[in-house]
Amino acid sequence: MKMPLVAKASACVFGFFLFLKLGLPLFTSPLPYSVLAMYMILVLISTLLYVSIFEDDYSNFYLPIVKFLRGDEGDNAVRKMSRIAVFVMIPLFMGFRTYKSVQPNFEPPFPQRVIHPAPPGSAAGFVNPYGGDEANHEKYVQEGRKVYYENCVFCHGDKLDGKGFFANALNVKPANFADPTTISMLQESFVFWRVKTGGIGLPEEATPWDSAMPRWELILSEEERWKAVMFLYDYTGWKPRTWELDAE
Amino acid sequence: MLNSLLNKSWLKALPLLFLAVVLLFGWTPLVAADEEHDDAAPTAETAEENALPTDDLAAGKMIYEKLCISCHGIEGDGDGPAAVRFQPKPRSFKKAKYKYRTTPKGKLPTDEDLFRAITLGLPGTGMPDWADVLSEKKIRQVIKYIKSFSDEWEKQESSPHVVTVGTVVPTSPESVERGKKQFTALGCQLCHGTEGRGDGPTASALKNHRGDPVYPRNLNKNWLFRGGGKAEDIYVRVNTGLSGTPMPEFSGALDNEKSWDLANYVRSLSPEKTPERGSLIKARSIEETIPVDPDDPIWQEGEPTWFPMMGQISFEKRLFTPSVTDITVKSVFNEKEIGFLLIWDDRSKSKTSKPGAKKISFTDQVAIQFPEKLQPGGVKKPYFIMGDEKLGVNLWNWTSEDNRFFETNAYGVWNNSEVEQSGSDISGKGYYKNGQYRLVIKRSFQTSDSEKDIQFEKGIFYPVAFFAMDGTNGEKGSQRSITPWYFVFMEPEEDKSVYYYPPIVIALVFGLEFILVKILKKNHKKENV
Ligand code: HEC
Ligand code: HEC
Ligand code: HEC
Repeated sequence: MKMPLVAKASACVFGFFLFLKLGLPLFTSPLPYSVLAMYMILVLISTLLYVSIFEDDYSNFYLPIVKFLRGDEGDNAVRKMSRIAVFVMIPLFMGFRTYKSVQPNFEPPFPQRVIHPAPPGSAAGFVNPYGGDEANHEKYVQEGRKVYYENCVFCHGDKLDGKGFFANALNVKPANFADPTTISMLQESFVFWRVKTGGIGLPEEATPWDSAMPRWELILSEEERWKAVMFLYDYTGWKPRTWELDAE
Repeated sequence: MLNSLLNKSWLKALPLLFLAVVLLFGWTPLVAADEEHDDAAPTAETAEENALPTDDLAAGKMIYEKLCISCHGIEGDGDGPAAVRFQPKPRSFKKAKYKYRTTPKGKLPTDEDLFRAITLGLPGTGMPDWADVLSEKKIRQVIKYIKSFSDEWEKQESSPHVVTVGTVVPTSPESVERGKKQFTALGCQLCHGTEGRGDGPTASALKNHRGDPVYPRNLNKNWLFRGGGKAEDIYVRVNTGLSGTPMPEFSGALDNEKSWDLANYVRSLSPEKTPERGSLIKARSIEETIPVDPDDPIWQEGEPTWFPMMGQISFEKRLFTPSVTDITVKSVFNEKEIGFLLIWDDRSKSKTSKPGAKKISFTDQVAIQFPEKLQPGGVKKPYFIMGDEKLGVNLWNWTSEDNRFFETNAYGVWNNSEVEQSGSDISGKGYYKNGQYRLVIKRSFQTSDSEKDIQFEKGIFYPVAFFAMDGTNGEKGSQRSITPWYFVFMEPEEDKSVYYYPPIVIALVFGLEFILVKILKKNHKKENV
């Protein structure tokens, strides 16, 4: 049995879609929508390229479509019905799309918030003055604990999970330090910059106006801030990201 | 079958398929790289688990010294570094006066009581729930350790008397009505207030066993009950009292049925479901002028929006123990004006204290905050706590003293930049009753000062935030309860064009289809000829 080319082409495209959508997640994590869309566009282009390379394939491909749209005397009832259905569906669909697009859309402007923006130049190169002092490490951590529980616990929580006493009242939630996407993937100098200048010190793409993270340079000394950062790492067991690690 | 599979057109497709597969796998690692860190849970936790001593008391000590000392102190006397900034203060395990028990007042709690407090935490206080980080075994170990701080425990009877909840009396209007009578007969309102908002006549003078002020619970917010907000939790509480606080035990005056009635009544003071945090205030359109009386029928209608509040702790002076925990808002508008109804609980009506008074207090105050001007695109805003140097905010304030309305502008908290406007365009009316303020503030859409005042139009989302200050709690200036930015929106009249365009498009597309088919048919005829 010889399949018409249109059917083959659509089978190829559809098969690929199924593979990406259902097959692939069996082996790795599911593809995000944007990547999936990109693959599907590639597949579609390849398929169309393929069918249009050869003259006869080309007409093989399009003729069934043309025939369907034109309608032939010999068409059976199913074909006739589906033809009418297609001709009715398309305008209705377009009408619906139009309605959707002219209908006033009352959505508050919600910015896409960048959580870890590039810090401004002035924020680079903070070096922990206690970094090398292994002998007194525990002492600094305990002092940092004091700073944390006197100042940060209300938002970032007793368990450093971002669920402090006040967290429910906030819109941009306090960072969860136990989560692997915060301090564990940041460099110490970045974390120090965040503690120093707080929410209000963020660049615009990180919506500084919404972040309750205090600007600690107004309240805490530089030493206290470093000790608090050391406490965050000690309590959670994360290691700050370093240049050496990056280079590996 | 095999033939059709090996059909040459399929073979031709192979290189393309190959290319696609290569591209696919070339890309996947890039995508996966973002999600990689998912599985890397902290290893410190498991390492520590293995290192825990087998002796329960020693294991409890290790857990305690990692998780609890910051508040309860290394010696267990409730004075860890965080203690100063919590109200109520962390428990002193040395004094061993426990509040949330099933045992009579003054007696030590059972291990199950402690287990409950540690697993579920004490809502509304700094004491969190520990169930997500501590296993049952670890909680038992830490209980053993905190008991070692006081020798009171040696005197505990082996099977102490515990209050158990008897046959359930389900809630009903009759039970609630009977409970209400109990409430007054037992004198609950002396501390908790007539409607239970913690505003009773004796409320402001109450102290706990350490001499710290203690406030009767607001019984209208059961999600903040430390020992649980369900009727059966309340049943236990009223029968056991809270050791170390003035909250008495009423077991002498209550039998099972009376306990249930009282519990059902107290439960009925809070909403059925804990309110959910809103994000948008949808103002309701009305024909009439906006009534300034908060009790006007117009204000009864429409859905309220609920916002939890927090103390302002980002800039000095900070407020760690705010008294106002949330605010409820309604909004209406007509052709010219927009109005807001604000409802918030405050356990005392406050006045500015006289110079030299023993306890300093200020007036109660509330404010609605808008940006001075909307930014293009509507995304950029002034800093949510009273603006910043670049973008200012416009505040509509009301103070309980003289019932005064006034407008201010601010450009940051840290620089004391708030200035009062010389005239004010806002008006309204407010009153205090039974531990609750109700206040209407309204203004016309447009004012003469478009530099300093926000100007309103329908169909636009305006950032809005709320502040509240309880003067008796010493709140003033930057010491206030705050919310982040939310939105308020006035829906414009419907635009009729919504109904014109779709039919036009349908007709057009149909016409195009018709022409297409015509052409196809014509060509076909030509070919056939
Ligand atoms: C008033 C609430 C509040 C307090 C108090 C507070 N923070 Fe934050 N913090 C936040 C919020 C909200 C965020 C997330 C928004 C942001 O990134 O600015 C945050 C983010 C952070 C980040 C950035 C994490 C990341 O992944 O980028 C660090 C680091 C941090 N806080 C440290 C601290 C330290 C240390 C203290 C105490 C000295 C503290 N915070 C006190 C609210 C608070
Ligand atoms: C951030 C501060 C904080 C931390 C950390 C903390 N607690 Fe508490 N805890 C409190 C406060 C505050 C209270 C008192 C609440 C009250 O009086 O209503 C309290 C009360 C208690 C009570 C008394 C309950 C009762 O019925 O009276 C126990 C038991 C307790 N905590 C155990 C622990 C244990 C065990 C840990 C460590 C795993 C811990 N807490 C960590 C703040 C804390
Ligand atoms: C002498 C004053 C006083 C009287 C009378 C009093 N209470 Fe209380 N009550 C308090 C105080 C104070 C607290 C809060 C203690 C604390 O938070 O440490 C409290 C707390 C409560 C709680 C909260 C328990 C929890 O889990 O958070 C309930 C419920 C309660 N009272 C109900 C009642 C009822 C019902 C009555 C009358 C039968 C009553 N109270 C009479 C002072 C009183």
